[in-house]
Amino acid sequence: MPGRSRRTLQFAALAAGTALVLTGCNAAAKKGESGEKGSKAFTLVTPDPVGQNEFLKLAVTGVKSAAKAHGGTSKVYQSSDSASQQQNLQAAVDAAPDAVVLVGFEFADAVAQQAEAHPKQQFLMVDACTKESFENVACATFREHEGVFLAGAEAGLLSKSGKVGAVDVLDTPQFRRYSDPFAAGAKHVDAKARASTRFVGGQSPFDDSARAKEQAGSLIAKGTDHIMAAAAAGNYGVFEAAKAKGTFAYGVDVNQCPSAPGTVVDNVVKRTDVAVRDGIKHILGGDAGKNVSYGLEEGGITLTGLEKDVAGSKCVIAKHEDVLKKIAELRDEIVDGKLKVDDPAAA
Amino acid sequence: MFLDSDLALSALRALTPILLAALGGAICERAGVFNIGLEGMMLMGCFTAVTTSWFTGSPWLGVLAAALAAAAYSLILAVGAVTLKGDAVVLGVAMNLLAVGLTSFLLRTVFGVQGTFDDPDLAGLGEIAGFSPLTWLSWGAVAVAAVLLSRHAWGLRLRGVGETPEAAATLGVSPAKYKYGAVLASGVLCGLAGAQLALGNVTLFSENMTAGRGWIAVVAVMLGRALPLGVLLAALLFGLAEAAGFRLQGLGLPQQATDAAPYVVTLIALFLTTAKRRRKTGAVV
Repeated sequence: MPGRSRRTLQFAALAAGTALVLTGCNAAAKKGESGEKGSKAFTLVTPDPVGQNEFLKLAVTGVKSAAKAHGGTSKVYQSSDSASQQQNLQAAVDAAPDAVVLVGFEFADAVAQQAEAHPKQQFLMVDACTKESFENVACATFREHEGVFLAGAEAGLLSKSGKVGAVDVLDTPQFRRYSDPFAAGAKHVDAKARASTRFVGGQSPFDDSARAKEQAGSLIAKGTDHIMAAAAAGNYGVFEAAKAKGTFAYGVDVNQCPSAPGTVVDNVVKRTDVAVRDGIKHILGGDAGKNVSYGLEEGGITLTGLEKDVAGSKCVIAKHEDVLKKIAELRDEIVDGKLKVDDPAAA
Repeated sequence: MFLDSDLALSALRALTPILLAALGGAICERAGVFNIGLEGMMLMGCFTAVTTSWFTGSPWLGVLAAALAAAAYSLILAVGAVTLKGDAVVLGVAMNLLAVGLTSFLLRTVFGVQGTFDDPDLAGLGEIAGFSPLTWLSWGAVAVAAVLLSRHAWGLRLRGVGETPEAAATLGVSPAKYKYGAVLASGVLCGLAGAQLALGNVTLFSENMTAGRGWIAVVAVMLGRALPLGVLLAALLFGLAEAAGFRLQGLGLPQQATDAAPYVVTLIALFLTTAKRRRKTGAVV
């Protein structure tokens, strides 16, 4: 039946085409934000639209403040899918700015190719790194485990049941940075504290908030009253589960307290803006290709509770000044090297 | 304790969205339309439910709108597979892909956020005697579908249309009409499944939040031989396997192993049911 199959194809093509148009149209349209011409130029390429994404907003802040500090201009290329990531990276390299800044592991392979093809172009990768090292690729990575340890200590100090837990995305060393140090932190302040971890897993572990909620529920059913939420979109499910049972949760990357005020105690914040600003400074200062890791000491990792605007953060921790005092002491011990936090991803 | 009431409740929560979608799939299967677009229709239901509940403040209007929107979306399959005689599998895959892109795009346009829309003021469905109202509805839907398909003239005609459309047509039954009805019914049921997921299981929308539940429903249809009660048992099996998986993690089993639980259960169930059927019918192949 040739007629029939041709029709099928037409239909499929139409449907697929519509999907492409709908998802792809942001890619090209949202470029821009160029300022006046200066001596230095920086381009930030994001893996997703910035929109309300707090993590990427911070990266934009970082590249803007770098431009201001060095009297230059900044551009932001927002991607919406893997195809537009490639196109935007290519467009950024073609314009040959002083630094191309990329956020996210999505760019690792593409940057490696571009760095080899354009040895004079300087790249800054944030929150990821290329597999091989290149002289013109600087990487800014984070020591999330230091912040998670402090959040765990908060949980240990605040927990009434003495049981804390974490809902994590996947059981890999990199993601264990969000669960193992949480347990270690709780045990550091309360030797009797018990900790357990659930991994979301499943077919799409990053999107499945219903599964994350069930995982959190199973922890709460066992008496856990403070839960580290490191489940990407699933975090909202964890917050719902905690709220329903009057227990508490901890967010990641940005201040997540406003999405469940009274439930979210604190957040392990990744200051992408600090990493971008400092990374550009290193590149301009002749330290190109240098890899820097950001933790508590560099101010790249912090807790919302340790920031200046904690009072307006809607976080539960704002009401516990005594706990915050102890947490600040622990932070200083980690910064001074007196206290060492084990990194699950260090092999 | 491993087997506690919490496990049962957790399993029943996991069951509802899968059961509603699988019932829709079973009705289509009976009418001779292979519907693998359940996942996409469900996702459209999730988004419509959240959007409507947010703007009207009524989760019930959200449920209604989700059913209508998913039914409208299912017209792609009805028109494509019945009227234009296209390949239902290709259409189903396209519908699933389109739904992910379309809802992500609409999420950005309507709410100006990317990834997840979540707000403490978003009204979710409450509970009636410990369960979401849609959970109770899903049990009722199983009973209604079982009676309609086995006892009522509509159900008999629908099955006739699915098995031998030519014979049904010679008896004055319009196969196209019944197939349209079956696909639209599956749309309504998937819309309800989506509403349950986005306003019942959790109260939020995130991109691709159905996370493969529509595909599990497709398997449940096959495993349950497109019988409403069979589909119920198959979906229950998945719900139990998933809930048990969470508990097994608590006992120290690695996540990669507990992830496999629903699929191991499926394989075992398939082996057992086919072996039994073969003995019964004496079929050689």
